[in-house]
Amino acid sequence: MKRMKSKKQRQADAVLTEIVRNGVIAVTEEMKTNLMRTAYNMIIYEALDFTVGLYTPEGETISIGLGLPSFIRGMAETVKAKLRHFGEKGLEPGDILVTNDAYTTGSHLYHFTFSLPIFHRGKLSGFACCMAHWTDVGGVLGGVTTDIYSEGLQIPIIKYARAGVVNQDLVDIIRMNVRIPERAMGDLRAQITAVKTGERRFLELLDRYGRDEVLAAIRNIMDQSEVAARARTRTIPDGVYEAESFMDDDGVEIGKPVPIKVRVVKQGEEMTIDLSQVAKQVRGFYNSGTTTGYSCAQVAYKCLTSPTDYPINEGSFRSLKVVLAPGTVVSAVKPAAMRWWMTFPMTVVDTLFKAMEKAIPDRTIAAHHADLCVALINGISPKDGRFFLAGIGPMGGGFGAKLTEDGNSATVCMNDGDTHNHPVEQMEAKYPLLFERHALRPDSGGAGRYRGGLGTEQAVQARSPININVQVDRVHCAPWGLAGGASGAGNQVTLRLGGKEIADLPNAKVLMKRLNPGDAITVRAGGGGGFGPPHEREPERVANDVRQGYVSLTAAAESYGVVLDPRTLEVDQAATAKRREKKP
Amino acid sequence: MAFPEKRINHKTRLAADIGGTFTDVAAFDEGSGRLLLGKSLSTPARLVDGVTNGVEKAAVRYADASAFLHGSTIAINTLLERSGAKTALVTTEGFRDVYEIGRINRPDSYNLYFRKHVPLVPRALCFEVRERMTAEGAVHIPLDEASVLAVCERLKAEGVDAVAIMLLHCYVNPVHEARVKAIVQRELPRAFVSASHELSQEYREFERCSTVAANAYIGPGVSEYVRAMDEHLKHSGFGGSFLLVQSTGGLYESHQAQSQCVRMLESGPAAGVIGAQALCRQLGLADAVAFDMGGTTAKAGVIYRGEALTSGVALIGGYAQALPVQIPMMDIFEVGTGGGSLAAVNASGALRVGPQSAGAEPGPACYGRGGELPTVTDANLVLGRLGARRFLGGEMTLDMAAAEGAIRDKIAGPLGVDLVHAADGILRIATTAMAYAVKAVSTERGLDAAAFALIAYGGAGPLHASSIAREIGMERVIVPRVPGHFCAFGMLFSDLRYDLVRTWFTRLADVSFDAIHALYEELIGQGRKALAASGIRPQRVTIQRAADMRYVGQEHPVTVHLPADVFRRRDAEALKHQFDEEHLRRYGTNARGEPAEIVSLRATVAGVLKKPPLERVARGAREPVASARRGTRKVYFAELGKAVATPTFAREALRSRNAIAGPAVIEEHASTTVLLPGDRMRVDEFGNLAIEVGRRAA
Repeated sequence: MKRMKSKKQRQADAVLTEIVRNGVIAVTEEMKTNLMRTAYNMIIYEALDFTVGLYTPEGETISIGLGLPSFIRGMAETVKAKLRHFGEKGLEPGDILVTNDAYTTGSHLYHFTFSLPIFHRGKLSGFACCMAHWTDVGGVLGGVTTDIYSEGLQIPIIKYARAGVVNQDLVDIIRMNVRIPERAMGDLRAQITAVKTGERRFLELLDRYGRDEVLAAIRNIMDQSEVAARARTRTIPDGVYEAESFMDDDGVEIGKPVPIKVRVVKQGEEMTIDLSQVAKQVRGFYNSGTTTGYSCAQVAYKCLTSPTDYPINEGSFRSLKVVLAPGTVVSAVKPAAMRWWMTFPMTVVDTLFKAMEKAIPDRTIAAHHADLCVALINGISPKDGRFFLAGIGPMGGGFGAKLTEDGNSATVCMNDGDTHNHPVEQMEAKYPLLFERHALRPDSGGAGRYRGGLGTEQAVQARSPININVQVDRVHCAPWGLAGGASGAGNQVTLRLGGKEIADLPNAKVLMKRLNPGDAITVRAGGGGGFGPPHEREPERVANDVRQGYVSLTAAAESYGVVLDPRTLEVDQAATAKRREKKP
Repeated sequence: MAFPEKRINHKTRLAADIGGTFTDVAAFDEGSGRLLLGKSLSTPARLVDGVTNGVEKAAVRYADASAFLHGSTIAINTLLERSGAKTALVTTEGFRDVYEIGRINRPDSYNLYFRKHVPLVPRALCFEVRERMTAEGAVHIPLDEASVLAVCERLKAEGVDAVAIMLLHCYVNPVHEARVKAIVQRELPRAFVSASHELSQEYREFERCSTVAANAYIGPGVSEYVRAMDEHLKHSGFGGSFLLVQSTGGLYESHQAQSQCVRMLESGPAAGVIGAQALCRQLGLADAVAFDMGGTTAKAGVIYRGEALTSGVALIGGYAQALPVQIPMMDIFEVGTGGGSLAAVNASGALRVGPQSAGAEPGPACYGRGGELPTVTDANLVLGRLGARRFLGGEMTLDMAAAEGAIRDKIAGPLGVDLVHAADGILRIATTAMAYAVKAVSTERGLDAAAFALIAYGGAGPLHASSIAREIGMERVIVPRVPGHFCAFGMLFSDLRYDLVRTWFTRLADVSFDAIHALYEELIGQGRKALAASGIRPQRVTIQRAADMRYVGQEHPVTVHLPADVFRRRDAEALKHQFDEEHLRRYGTNARGEPAEIVSLRATVAGVLKKPPLERVARGAREPVASARRGTRKVYFAELGKAVATPTFAREALRSRNAIAGPAVIEEHASTTVLLPGDRMRVDEFGNLAIEVGRRAA
């Protein structure tokens, strides 16, 4: 790197680097489009629960298509594991590698991950990868699992295709083990389309600009990302920052909180995120693997240091050190149950933002609902008599407020990024459901100088008998505020069975409950935490919140100390001043 | 460019395209077969004036025109600038927040300061009425008219100007929606009232809600604008048909435009693609990419087998904060690269070009209006591709020293390279970014771009076309005769067009051709009715049928165009086969063994209008006449690695059959065409520059 370069060489570096940067982003975007458009299950095509990416021959991330933040690390680790397994010599053109091993991806068995080694004129030049969430991989239907063996089919690292020849034995094994084989096969085809798209387009780049030149440009991109992340890290005051929160329970020991304790050490231009003190792995299926522990740290670090630096690549994380102890809920070891891996890590990320409150109040954010808020349903379709599996949700919740802004309402949780909800019209056309309401939750945003975003609620009625499973957490540890801001409303689930309302569940977990026609479930996603003392919120902002129905008249007075004329909804300045005087 | 000495008869077709900066007028005089052009500055305060100025510049009289064809940015600007009417939304009980909740995605996933879309209707103006349809279109809760009247009282008290109505499942059964609309119209006779099923009969409540809200929001202003234009035309002695361009590039009658305003959102860009399509027909080309580059963006559309491809939904205002509009639109892909795109070296030492733009003010450094940051235009000037004294026909002189200073200080210095390499680097990055727009509508659709012609227009399109073609491996570039007026020109070739879509979930295995037939007849009947209501008698009526299909279990359907005989033969296997093939073409894979289903049926009813023949230009020899030669200047070409003396030509002096080999520069009033070394250009009989692109250097 230090050798002198000619002017032309330097110019070529800067220009080609930018051309390759745009190029790899375009490749992963096209992979994403093709996967989304050809996939068979709503989790992929509507919810966009997948990740596509390009990797170096060593398995380092070059570019990840917009997808799941919590999977920021998942594919890189999987590619590296596959490389270790086969060795570079064990790979040949036409190979496609696969696994859904939970302890490799760090997540659940639904995540089938395909990797295609890209050979340019016989030389290994990178990998095109695609992880997507399948509807079903067998295993226990509903309920809570307590080990990996009950969660479905496990595929170790093997070749789906060897030198262009598909392993039909593997396909047959999969078909036999999953509940809806045609969907699984459709998703598999879509994923193959995605990795082949990645291969084709990356090869075009290599042909156009030369293999060594492109790989050098990729190193430049990573170096640039590293420079940016280090520079931004330097602006964070040195120090040790800690925070704590908790999960409701693990779904087995109801009511026993699971503590989440994090520690951040910032020194110079490097940051260490220590997650060794988060709770030990639990019996219920809320565990995730080491890969996800790394993801938690990387997501928080990227949000704080280089949020809009694209493509998402390895360089952004060279200044980050992660400490994990084996056997925690984000570094679980076999045979920990992993099916609902995604919930706890979001609270870990939220807690990291909490830890940074004192250091960088202008860059951090109050807590959010931190859950996908999904109700899984299954049953026999009255239309065609066939078994179906589906999810109600994800639902939008409230994001936390910041130093200078209210939080977003009705937005998907941190685990997910470009994840969409399902149109009600689509759900009702496909499944025997009737949605009674899909609405914002007034007063769910935490009060503050800036208010947390509002959560939403969905009330859904069964039109024919169905089974439901809900695994929602963060009922009791409501999304906290920062700098004196109040908490938002927590997540909540209620049922209506035989005309009777059941609103006193101990948590938001409902396992294999039968809903008969007319019965209903209501899932409420929490609101975000507030930022700053509520009494410092401009009265006019509070009045507008009341006019829009985001905040009730009562809450305006009680939480914000703002008194409004109930008829005109204008601020009663005198009464407000008086009320606000009382509190410091 | 032909400016006539005398005015002719009343057989003129007149087209006016209002853009952000300029209003372009194109007129075709059927009597003489001549094309007349005018360009004037747009007049935002009173857009009509800009049109009238342009018409005068083209030396046409409204009274001589049989048809006035019009595209305008008023609809899109009202939306983007948030300057529309006070609008209320009426929805099914329990669903008034559908619009604000949206699709909940957070594409800018790591940005804690991310902001989601902001609805056009505040929550305080979202109301609910008691009713409910099921997904099958059965009444689950009958419409409670008292609840509608109660909402109307609130609407009156709020003094709203526009009302959007979106009820669940109205795409299957619109009875409730139609009834709510009738009541609201009766109770608020002065309000602009719009019901979602009139615009979109496809499922997805948020998207349909956003569509109808946009229509209502821009409705009062846009319909008033169309009315005013109509009146102005009548006062000016115009007695012909007043037609507006829709986002599909098709025309609709001005009264229809006054209620379905949202259909004209992208009229200008769509008309450009129609112009490219007309050019293809004239030249016997089946496949082309229409490429339009202006000051802030570059746009690409595609003509495949003679047809301009459309899509069913557009996201207005960028992906992250998009307000979706779920109606057929020209399939146009846009990138933030234009002549004014800023180049910068960031703190990490990376060179970036766009999407920030210098805009019209201050503009590129070389405009000499205080802009200090280098742009794509500055790079073109520094490399000699633009002539400092030839910009806009010499009406504006570019400041070379300012361009050089900006690139030297902001790019060359920080990167440690010389001026020329810095400028060339800016262009290379811009070229690849624009090449992605072209690929997005071609290779990413499964089309082989290399076999397509690139039709380049807009002020900056012809400057970059040859480089982009090389980047993609396209062999043929066509620079039409009037690249700076091409959207107005395209309007002259547009037809009346009505697009009807209806969601109708049916497995192919269970398909009843009687039911399909009945549905198509209904859709086509609606189209014919709209056509008749336009009061214009077309030369003939064409009908195209298509179906959105997918494999059972898939979500996103593929639109498959279906020849009429598939239905005559009642051939379900042919339906499936066409779908399998389309899926393979678009995604490189299909599943012939898997069952498929229909999601929506589409019908397009077009009233074909008489097309002007393209004007032929005078014939010349192979060698351009001496007066076409303007001299030479030094132009840098990366292909040669140096600047070489390059001949420049005046486009207006070129004749058909003239041939020029690159490197060369061809200048005209509002545009400059660059021929790279190895390119061979020949002027065709219509005055287009037909460029055979030289091979890309290895």
